[in-house]
Amino acid sequence: MKNEKQRKTLGATQLDRRQFMRLTVMGAGATALLAACAVPTETPAGGDTGAAASGAGEAAAGGGTMVWLGHQEVASLSPDDDGPDIQYVMIRNIHSPVVYYNEFNEPEAVLADSYEVADDGLTYTFNLKQGVLFHDGKELTSADVKYTWDYYRNPDNAAVSVGDFEGVDSIDTPDDYTVVVNMSSVNAASLANWAEFCIVQSEYHAEIGEDAYKAAPIGTGPYKLKEWRAAEFTELEAFDDYFMGRPSIDVVRLDVVPEDSVRMIALQTGDADSSAWPLLVEDSLTLMDDPNFTVYSTPGNSIKHFPLNNTLPQLSDKMVRKALLHALDRQRIIDDLWSGTAQVAHSNISPSSYYYRDDLPQYEYDPEKAAAMLDEAGWTAGDDGIREKDGQKLSFTCTTITGDQARRPIAELVQLMLSEVGVDMQLAEAPVASILEGMRAGTMDASLFNWTYCTNAVEPDPFSTLHSDGGNNFCNFKNDRMDELIEQGLQIVDPAERKPLYDELQAIFVDEVPCLFLQFDNWLIPFSNRIQGLPVDPTASTSYYMRASTWTLSGNG
Amino acid sequence: MGRYIFVRVMQGIVVIFLISVLTFIIMRMMPGDPVYLLFGEGKVRITEEQMQAIRARWGLDQPYYVQYMVWARNMLTGDFGDSLIRTGTPVRQMIFEAIPVTLTLNLYAMLLALSISIPLGIWAGMRRNSFVDYFASIVSAMGIATPNFWLGLMLIVIFSLVLGLLPPFGLRSWQGYILPVIVLAAEQMAVVTRVMRSSTVEVLNEDYVRTARAKGLTERTVIIRHAVRNALLPVVTVIGFNIAFILSGTIVVETVFALPGIGRLFTDSVFRLDYQVVQSLFVLLAALVVVVNLLTDLLYALIDPRIRFD
Repeated sequence: MKNEKQRKTLGATQLDRRQFMRLTVMGAGATALLAACAVPTETPAGGDTGAAASGAGEAAAGGGTMVWLGHQEVASLSPDDDGPDIQYVMIRNIHSPVVYYNEFNEPEAVLADSYEVADDGLTYTFNLKQGVLFHDGKELTSADVKYTWDYYRNPDNAAVSVGDFEGVDSIDTPDDYTVVVNMSSVNAASLANWAEFCIVQSEYHAEIGEDAYKAAPIGTGPYKLKEWRAAEFTELEAFDDYFMGRPSIDVVRLDVVPEDSVRMIALQTGDADSSAWPLLVEDSLTLMDDPNFTVYSTPGNSIKHFPLNNTLPQLSDKMVRKALLHALDRQRIIDDLWSGTAQVAHSNISPSSYYYRDDLPQYEYDPEKAAAMLDEAGWTAGDDGIREKDGQKLSFTCTTITGDQARRPIAELVQLMLSEVGVDMQLAEAPVASILEGMRAGTMDASLFNWTYCTNAVEPDPFSTLHSDGGNNFCNFKNDRMDELIEQGLQIVDPAERKPLYDELQAIFVDEVPCLFLQFDNWLIPFSNRIQGLPVDPTASTSYYMRASTWTLSGNG
Repeated sequence: MGRYIFVRVMQGIVVIFLISVLTFIIMRMMPGDPVYLLFGEGKVRITEEQMQAIRARWGLDQPYYVQYMVWARNMLTGDFGDSLIRTGTPVRQMIFEAIPVTLTLNLYAMLLALSISIPLGIWAGMRRNSFVDYFASIVSAMGIATPNFWLGLMLIVIFSLVLGLLPPFGLRSWQGYILPVIVLAAEQMAVVTRVMRSSTVEVLNEDYVRTARAKGLTERTVIIRHAVRNALLPVVTVIGFNIAFILSGTIVVETVFALPGIGRLFTDSVFRLDYQVVQSLFVLLAALVVVVNLLTDLLYALIDPRIRFD
């Protein structure tokens, strides 16, 4: 009750300029402030500390405010910018996609009644639902779908999603409820990429333009934008005419709370109902044991890894890279530094994927074998204990992300493990933008971060990271057979036919060791049990937030 | 006086110009490319043409001197440009949304700090080596030594988690101001108490205080009319100095308490290489420091009639 009341009181007092002036005048003396400090004990907001108590006055069915927490600002609300998870949960509640992969990694039609993929993979036909309304009251038609996809795939509009529409040639709208996409070349990742792209209201978007749209979106989603303050909060309110029925919860708000431990406290005090960005692992484990919370643990798709610059003379030999992996006790890293909430990686593709291959050779922890392999490759210990070959030291620098307190200890432990086999890894720090560019450009030796080496749990394509032309080829990895397999894999739509190609692709990845792959982290997301109707044991992360329209809050009936 | 102010303003303009050039150079020298950050991990294909299109849209494909000229010209007309990361949002809007938050926090923090530390400092100065003096020394040593970050988290744990009295973060109610203001005030309070104490001690040994006492004035009058006014001078210097450093203190507090102020805008923008935001903030802050320094110097003349600027 306390929190409900607090939220209601607080909702009325947000800091705008007028408020600021008033506050400043009001508090012109320190005595006023000191007096103010004593007040909370007398107000209803602070008077009742029983967080779980529910008041009789709030027994009405439905309603309430659900608060989620993010770690960084919501920079944009355009579907073009739904890459970062935090924006995703807001954008996907404002907009709807035509189809998408749900929290169990199954394709699900949203704006479409049905869809059909031609056998040759060159035509996609979507039959749209009728009577779907945008937040401005206009009905969704095929023109909106065509407009959206055409706009964001047009290179002239400088959208970041252009690459997702690879292979799309033209889009036809034979009638108001049918969309036909003609492909110039097969792109097996189509459904996972462009078909998931959220639809905007075409006339509105064309009128105000993309820049203005980022702050004032109009979609067909269950919630419409109420107020957006990028660095503070994003507040959505229920859309009465949502085509799948008005959501029960009136308001959904995402508060920006950068500090991990403060997000944890806000969940415990009841000031928030979920943290859309993971807490510290120890805190997540604490909440797992707390009967007031449900913590989803879904296998992540991204690998925590050390990308290595494969063009450096000391790292270009795959024997060396294999030896490095044998020198790492990866289970110990998970147990000691990640509270056991991860699994050792044995492939580039996530174990939860259909394409995952579990019969590949595994790199067990064996420092002696590592040393022997390095000897064999011609790297012998120099005077200082560091191996060298032809005057080149087996030494490189790993640049971790500035302030990354979670992963830095891993780099330190790995430094120790590598030094035991005569390999010298120096540590440095740099902001993430510098690292991403440095690794892509090959001006940095190594780093440590999480990144996906397949598209996601349903789509195995690793073009961007493992193809020699890939935009995120951090390892500067170049393997002709790998390039061929990636290109061929995208030409086949049928999963059973595709699988053999990805089997071979994973074998190459494991044999070449382009990066030191450590582990697939579990994605731990906490929900307060105040929320009713949560999905049971989802297998995909983040997408369960798209179910928000079906949830209710207890204490609100 | 008028001439003095004119010279100082001219100096200030030169300083601001140099800062703007330096900031521009430093930002461009930082390794990394902000355009990369626009792509989330989910974006599978990134081609060079695509990168170029985005660079062109933001004018990042122009030579550096052209970029600087465009920016400087726009700044002069009050147009701070658009944020690259918060795509398309005018930088001016971002800054003017953040300023009230930081300013309010610091105003309250300073009022709180002064209202406690000035009396405490005077008291400690009057009763040297007494219990009060030791108490004030210990408290101010702790205030200086305690990291803001730790103090903030501890206050959240005590007042939000354990006692349930105050919200753990944000400014959705006036209660949200209390904890961050206390944290900010703690450090300032410590500094001001020490300065006030030592300058009180010094002033009390001055001849004119002895004269005042010899005249038979009450101790109360001696302290308030003769001692305090003179002892305040160094405190004004410290406060002026602190205003210039407001930003460094609020970065931590704004991050811990999730407040959308200038400090967080600044760090976020530096880490994400949001050139326009960082450059504009630097220039505005330089202007603030110049103005505050000038005002501090002028304030001396008000407090100490011996100081003249002619």
